[in-house]
Amino acid sequence: MPKVLISKLKPGMKLAKPVKNESGMILLGENTELSDSLIRRLENMNIENVSIIAEAQNEKSPEELLAELGQRFIKTENEPHMGLIKRLFEEHIRGMTP
Amino acid sequence: MDASELRGQLESIDTLPTIPSVLKGILKVIENPRVSLNEIGSFVATDPVLTSRVLKVVNSPIYGFSGRISSVSQALLLLGLNVVRGMLFGVSVFEIMEKSMVGLWGHSMGCAVTARIIAKKKGLEEPEEVSVAALLHDIGKVALSLKFPEEYEKILADAAARNVFIFEAEDAHYGLTHATAGAWIAQKWNFPKGLVEVIGYHHKPHLSKNLPVETAVVHLADILIRARGFGFPGDNHIPPVHPEAWKILDLSEDDIREILKEMDDSLMNSDDFLFQDE
Repeated sequence: MPKVLISKLKPGMKLAKPVKNESGMILLGENTELSDSLIRRLENMNIENVSIIAEAQNEKSPEELLAELGQRFIKTENEPHMGLIKRLFEEHIRGMTP
Repeated sequence: MDASELRGQLESIDTLPTIPSVLKGILKVIENPRVSLNEIGSFVATDPVLTSRVLKVVNSPIYGFSGRISSVSQALLLLGLNVVRGMLFGVSVFEIMEKSMVGLWGHSMGCAVTARIIAKKKGLEEPEEVSVAALLHDIGKVALSLKFPEEYEKILADAAARNVFIFEAEDAHYGLTHATAGAWIAQKWNFPKGLVEVIGYHHKPHLSKNLPVETAVVHLADILIRARGFGFPGDNHIPPVHPEAWKILDLSEDDIREILKEMDDSLMNSDDFLFQDE
C-alpha cells in the first residue's frame, strides 16, 4: 500500500492503516474515507504521511488495460513472436475477473 | 571516453561520496567471494532495516519458501552464498535504484519473480540463481546513473523524446549499454561468471555461450514483465524477443498462458516485497 504525503492527500482516499498519535492511540481507523476536514486535521498533526489503499490499479477496466498494452507493444508488435505474446496478454486481460 | 576508461570509472562507484556509508559497508562484505555465511549473517543482523528487507525478499515469490523463513541465518543456509550475495546486493542498492529511476526496483523484482516461474517451467535445477540474475539484470542502469547522474538523466530523456530504447540511447552516447556496464559491475563485485554472463547478454541472449538457457529466461522475463506493465525500467517500450532465445525456450502457447497466470498470483501481494509499507 502506498504511503502518501499529507500534502498530497485528496478527499475520497481511504486509509490502509490506522493513524495513531505519538502515544499510539488510534485517531482514525483503517478504511476511513478522508474528507477535506479530516485532511486539514491531519495537516495540523506532526506526521509526514499515511498509508492509503491502492485502488487505482485494480480499478482499471479491461479496455484501459488493453489500451496500455497496445501502447507498450507499439514499437515491436510486428517483430517475430511479439504478436503472439501480445495476443496471449490480451486474452489474459479479457479473461481476468474484475 | 574509451571503454576501459569508462569501465574504470564505473568500477569505482563504491567510493562515490553520494553512496551512504552503510551501503559502502555492505558492498565491502559482498565483494569478498569467500566471505562466510556467518560473517554475512552477523553483518545483516546489525542493521534492523536490512534484516527486515532480507526476510521480506526471501519470503517473497522470488523464492519458493513463502512466509516460512523467520531468521536471516536460516535464509542464508537455504539459499547459499552466491544467491545471498546477489540478493543482498540488490536489496542494498534498492534505494539508489528507486532514486535514479522510480520503478526500477519494481521492474527488477517483477523480472526476478517471472524468471523463477519460467525457470521452473523449463525444469532448470537452480531457479534461485536465475532469479537473482534477473533481480540484478539492470544493475548497469544503477551504475551509470550513479556515476553520471545528470548525463544519464539526459540519456533517458533523449530515449523518451526520440522514442527509442534506453539501450539504443546509451549505445549512441557511450558506445555500450547498461548490459555491458552491469556485467562489469558484477565482475568487479566478484559474482560468479554465470551471473556476469546473464547480465551482460540479457539483450543479446544469442551471444551467451555457457548459459544460453538461463540468459534466454531472463531475456524473456524482462519482456513479459514489461508487457504486464509492472514496475518501470526507464522506458515504456517492450524490446523484441530474440528468435534464438525463443527457440531455446520452446514454450507452447499454453505454457505462456500458465506463466501469465502464475505471474498474477505471485505479484498480487507485491507491496510487501517492494517495501512500500515501510
